[in-house]
Amino acid sequence: MAEKGGKNFSSEKGKTPSNLAASKEGSLKGKDSVPVNKTRHIQLDDSDSEYEGFVDERSPASSKASGKASSDLKSGKKKVSFESLKTGRKTSFETPAAKGDWGKGGKDFNAGKAGGKGSLPRATAVKPRLTEIELKLELELPKNARLLMDCEAAEILQEIEEHKTILSEDPKVKFPESFNKVLQYTKFGSHYINSQSARKVLETLKINGVNDGEICMIGNICPETVEEVYALLPSLKVNKHKNEEPIKEVLASLAKVKTSK
Amino acid sequence: MFFHITLERNMQLHPRHFGPHLRDKLVAKLMKDVEGTCSGRHGFVVAITNVEDIGKGLIREGTGFVTFPVKYQCVAFRPFKGEILEAVVTMVNKMGFFAEAGPVQIFVSNHLIPDDMEFQSGDMPNYTTSDGSVKIQKDSEVRLKIIGTRVDATEIFCIGTIKDDFLGVINDPGAAA
Repeated sequence: MAEKGGKNFSSEKGKTPSNLAASKEGSLKGKDSVPVNKTRHIQLDDSDSEYEGFVDERSPASSKASGKASSDLKSGKKKVSFESLKTGRKTSFETPAAKGDWGKGGKDFNAGKAGGKGSLPRATAVKPRLTEIELKLELELPKNARLLMDCEAAEILQEIEEHKTILSEDPKVKFPESFNKVLQYTKFGSHYINSQSARKVLETLKINGVNDGEICMIGNICPETVEEVYALLPSLKVNKHKNEEPIKEVLASLAKVKTSK
Repeated sequence: MFFHITLERNMQLHPRHFGPHLRDKLVAKLMKDVEGTCSGRHGFVVAITNVEDIGKGLIREGTGFVTFPVKYQCVAFRPFKGEILEAVVTMVNKMGFFAEAGPVQIFVSNHLIPDDMEFQSGDMPNYTTSDGSVKIQKDSEVRLKIIGTRVDATEIFCIGTIKDDFLGVINDPGAAA
């Protein structure tokens, strides 16, 4: 498994290292020269091809209507992350060697993919990308989809398991092994006494412009401080002045509903 | 991240199943076909919660099979880029470590592990800080950020990092920063 993983990554790197360097330069400058990374990204594109549905939804709209505005916005955001690149993680991102590029390469894959499809000038740092992804969470899931926190999923799966133990007496009915794995994972991840109270508390954040995906992430991560929230969900920083107080209150209320672990 | 979603699927049923328990047979077949599979769009389908509607069956020409459009709700799991997850380490080697979060395998390369952590080989290979305060080994719990995903028919595979703030080993006083 390690070999398989290693091979994929090194072949990505091996194919066009010069392109990686070029795209790094391009991304830091804020222009997406799209060194047509598509051929390099065959492995990831298998999944990314599924993204086409919703990437295309966004790109025509934004490229037509507010191309300039969005690129300005993104360049603004890019500055924030660029500074953090300078202060925090400079060494890793500048190593030309091997797999360090993977982390950065991941960002560039996004750039290449997006560029290939909508040919938008996009800032390619990961942090602005997070906002788009969070937005995409809304776009991609149709109205009949509902995001679940780990604790809610745990409750649902628990109920299903109870039904299944009854059904399992029937030899024809078979359950995938993954179900148990997931059940265990949700139990391990759920920190609250009950999910309804956690959900109620987090819903109050919706008024402050925090979207569903971000609310779920806060519920799952169980952060202790506001700084942690902003570090892990940089998309919230955009509205920091608006949502800082509500987030503090929510964290305090969540702390009351937590199970002691 | 988990979500609860309504999906539709066309199920084909062989005439030998027709009879008073047609619906049950159809639901059982649906569960067998769908649970545990992946798609790029919805991710991993963990379990079906209920069957909303089974439409009228259409007999296929030439064979006796009948196609039923089935609408059902299920719990799906899909990792997103930028998502923060807590995972359990399953294997450690000098290239990095593998961790599992539910049905998803995540690989964290040694380049995305903080520089102050070194690989120690041995009976229990692990990554340890220079002062020995933080250790990542098999069965450790880590919080990581997903930076890339790949979906194929039966599993989802991701790349993660622990090199950012507030990531790394959980429940350890010397944990990540």
